[in-house]
Amino acid sequence: MEDKDAADHALAVALREGADYAEARLHRNVDTVASLKNGEAEPPGHGESYGLGMRVMCGGALAFGATNRLGREGAAALAASLVRNARSAAALFGKKVAMSPEDSYMAKWGVPEKERMEDVDAGRLLSALKDLEGEVLSAAGEGKMPFRLYFLATGVEEKYFTSTQGTRIESRVPRLAFSGVLTGRDSGMVVQRRVQTGGSGGWEVFEGLGIRERLKSEAGTVARILSSASKFMGGEMDVIVGPEVAGIMAHESVGHPGEADRIMGREAAQAGESYLSSSDLGRQVGNGQAMVSDDPTVPGSSGFYLYDDEGVPARKRSLIDGGRIGEFLQNRETAADFDTRSNGAARADSYDREPIVRMANTFVEPGDMALEEMISGVKEGVLLKNFMEWNIDDKRFNQRYVGHEAYKIEKGELKGLVRNPVLEITTTKLWGSIGGRSRELAFDAATCGKGDPMQGIPVWHGGPHMLLNGVRVGAR
Amino acid sequence: MEQSAIDWAEAKAKSLAVAEYTVVEHHLDEMQARFSDNSLSVVNRLLTTELGVYLAKGRKRVLGSLSSTGRRSVEEFVEKLFASMNSTSAESDFAPLPAGGAGYSHNGDADASLDPFDQAACAKSAIQAALSAGASRVAGSLTARRTLVVQRTSAGLQGSDERTSYLLNVRAFADKDASGHGVSVATRLRDLETEQAGRRAGEWAKKSRNPRQPEEGVYSVIFGRTVAADLFQHVGRSASAFAMETGLSFLPEKSGERAGSDRLTVKDHGQIEGGPDSRSFDDEGRATSTTVILDGGQMARHLHNSTTAAKHGAEPTGNAGIISPRPWNIEVVPGSSDIEEMVRETKRGIFVTNNWYTRFQSYKTGEYSTLPRDAAFYIEGGRIGHPVAGFRISDSIPRQLGAVTLLGRERSWIEWWEVSTPVLQPDMLVDGVRITRAAT
Repeated sequence: MEDKDAADHALAVALREGADYAEARLHRNVDTVASLKNGEAEPPGHGESYGLGMRVMCGGALAFGATNRLGREGAAALAASLVRNARSAAALFGKKVAMSPEDSYMAKWGVPEKERMEDVDAGRLLSALKDLEGEVLSAAGEGKMPFRLYFLATGVEEKYFTSTQGTRIESRVPRLAFSGVLTGRDSGMVVQRRVQTGGSGGWEVFEGLGIRERLKSEAGTVARILSSASKFMGGEMDVIVGPEVAGIMAHESVGHPGEADRIMGREAAQAGESYLSSSDLGRQVGNGQAMVSDDPTVPGSSGFYLYDDEGVPARKRSLIDGGRIGEFLQNRETAADFDTRSNGAARADSYDREPIVRMANTFVEPGDMALEEMISGVKEGVLLKNFMEWNIDDKRFNQRYVGHEAYKIEKGELKGLVRNPVLEITTTKLWGSIGGRSRELAFDAATCGKGDPMQGIPVWHGGPHMLLNGVRVGAR
Repeated sequence: MEQSAIDWAEAKAKSLAVAEYTVVEHHLDEMQARFSDNSLSVVNRLLTTELGVYLAKGRKRVLGSLSSTGRRSVEEFVEKLFASMNSTSAESDFAPLPAGGAGYSHNGDADASLDPFDQAACAKSAIQAALSAGASRVAGSLTARRTLVVQRTSAGLQGSDERTSYLLNVRAFADKDASGHGVSVATRLRDLETEQAGRRAGEWAKKSRNPRQPEEGVYSVIFGRTVAADLFQHVGRSASAFAMETGLSFLPEKSGERAGSDRLTVKDHGQIEGGPDSRSFDDEGRATSTTVILDGGQMARHLHNSTTAAKHGAEPTGNAGIISPRPWNIEVVPGSSDIEEMVRETKRGIFVTNNWYTRFQSYKTGEYSTLPRDAAFYIEGGRIGHPVAGFRISDSIPRQLGAVTLLGRERSWIEWWEVSTPVLQPDMLVDGVRITRAAT
């Protein structure tokens, strides 16, 4: 990566100006996106974002800054200005910022590609989208899907991280992301479905994700919901959630409340806080079946990395183990506050954003049941295969998932489609109601928003099918 | 005169003999102080320049943005865009860029520089005001931004637009379950109300101690300005012709159809005093303007760029987005009421001061839910009662637009983490709002 010399020079300038600690990150994102609107191509887009992001600590004050006016001069000017900023604001840092002690590393890592992402041009992306359009239209039926919108994006993220503690890390991650919105309409009724998937690797990821089959199936399901879904009558019952729902549950009500910066209040005015406190390690928040992890090292995942954006090695984190809080997600800043070590959760989405505590790939651990076994044990219930509307309060305790493809279960048998069952439930009730987890594990891709300025970070979330016993389900 | 990215990009576009181009430089100088637990947590400084390029030839188009602004990088990038454009097939939806006009008029609503701004001192002032009002813990962010947009098009249009904006977001806590929120949005430093925003957050926090969970049901709900602004940013986005074409709009497809209460008039302003996203020209180089979206509850106009306007037989509104027209600054025309009257008129209701996490079951139908956060209060018999928490608004925006019964006469600009499109918003009373809560 060019400009490494400038980044290293910035560290020297920061130390010379009086910084206690400094780190610099050259960060490049090169993206191509194609889109298709109701069968018509929109102009393809290309983005190349490249610059230097830098943090300095001085007298317990933390300053972050970024510039794309590179070269030794630009980098030095940034470093000097950040030291000045930190020093002049230090008196107002009533609580002094510190970084947890971590080892230094020299490493270069990347995600292998069979076919390089950069070699796939916009025309090929558009061609792939047009293939998908054909599948959707044939599956939905004549005139049943009046609105279709798809995006297919390839990208390569490259970084060079250097710190005054001697860490030097270079990385390269190519990714692919697909998103689409299908809107079906029939006899005045409307059903909408958002589909998102993606992963890391070369262009082979597109075929590996099975997007064509997925879209075809999704379009057919929208048509079936329009034609045959019956009104759902709520009540207390057993619920089986599919991997997509289990994944969003893990992300929203386990991953987010386990982010240490939320727990210490650093995100209080934006993304919110947590129902957990710093003393809650080991707290029972679910039953023994509640097993949730976050793992940046899942091969092929959207959230894949081997070192985080503070130069700390990535590893799997056990967030809930047998119903008890296992560990929080930590970066070096929060780890110092919690008097522990970072577990490698610092991520920044571009050069002009500070590294903050983020999830990577968050999932419910698979169990030992088969889906058929789960269904056969339910006298009255509902299967929420996937969802559309969802949200959760800013302490991550009161959450809601509204089913999209959902089936009634009666006397151990799967029955017809039902419309919009609503699972509105507290975090402890949810994770305390698990009756079983199936053997398979499936993931979906998403972009997780957090921070101020906002950062959208690529993640996976997923899980097995998960049985919840005796929960209240409403109707929209 | 020293050349920069926009010059090199324009020269390269001309040398490639494209039929149309726009080239634009976005300069950003941003200072931010973030605070939590009554203390600064980080100070940020961003100094960036980004180049935007649009090329068109033979009904083929391409868009690009580049943050490396050296000559070689710029020229290679434009060549890459040209090659990419040629790799695609011709589009059926296409309209030429607007031709030259009388130039642009800047409304003069900006500070000359960010120089007098002291982010740390302003943050301290907001924290102190919240603490003095009864809070024990204060968090927030204060952002000062200077932007300069320089744009040229192949149609001979060229413009330069310089703006400043100041965004303060304060959240105060009186205890673990009692919090209040304050916002101040300004385009000039003299209008930034740091103490008032901090005080408001502190007062709400103090009043919201010991909340109770309301019963599920249907209530009249007073949407405080911050909550109502979230609703109307979605109205603004739904007004985009792109949203209408893609099933992402809950607004009527035709002008003249009823979209809400006759009390509702909603406009989008390219430039408006105090509007932090003001611009004198859009991404196609067309002068921005004011567009009435809802006029007395009727759908008036959608937001258009040249391409969507040509497709729908409408006039462009100066809201390009090359692909998707977008709102600039939304204004909800005020009524003549106030919070006191809204409370008096409410037999059984809830007053919500802030919300977050708005998500839709369908953008087309507008069915959605959102979570009140910070201070909220039960209203019974025309009087404000105890604080409430732990519930959700689960409803439909089109239904709510039709059930607006009172609008306040006082308004504030709202923009914060949840409301990214700025809205000039009064308080609002809506009847028949469904409230739900989680099973425990």
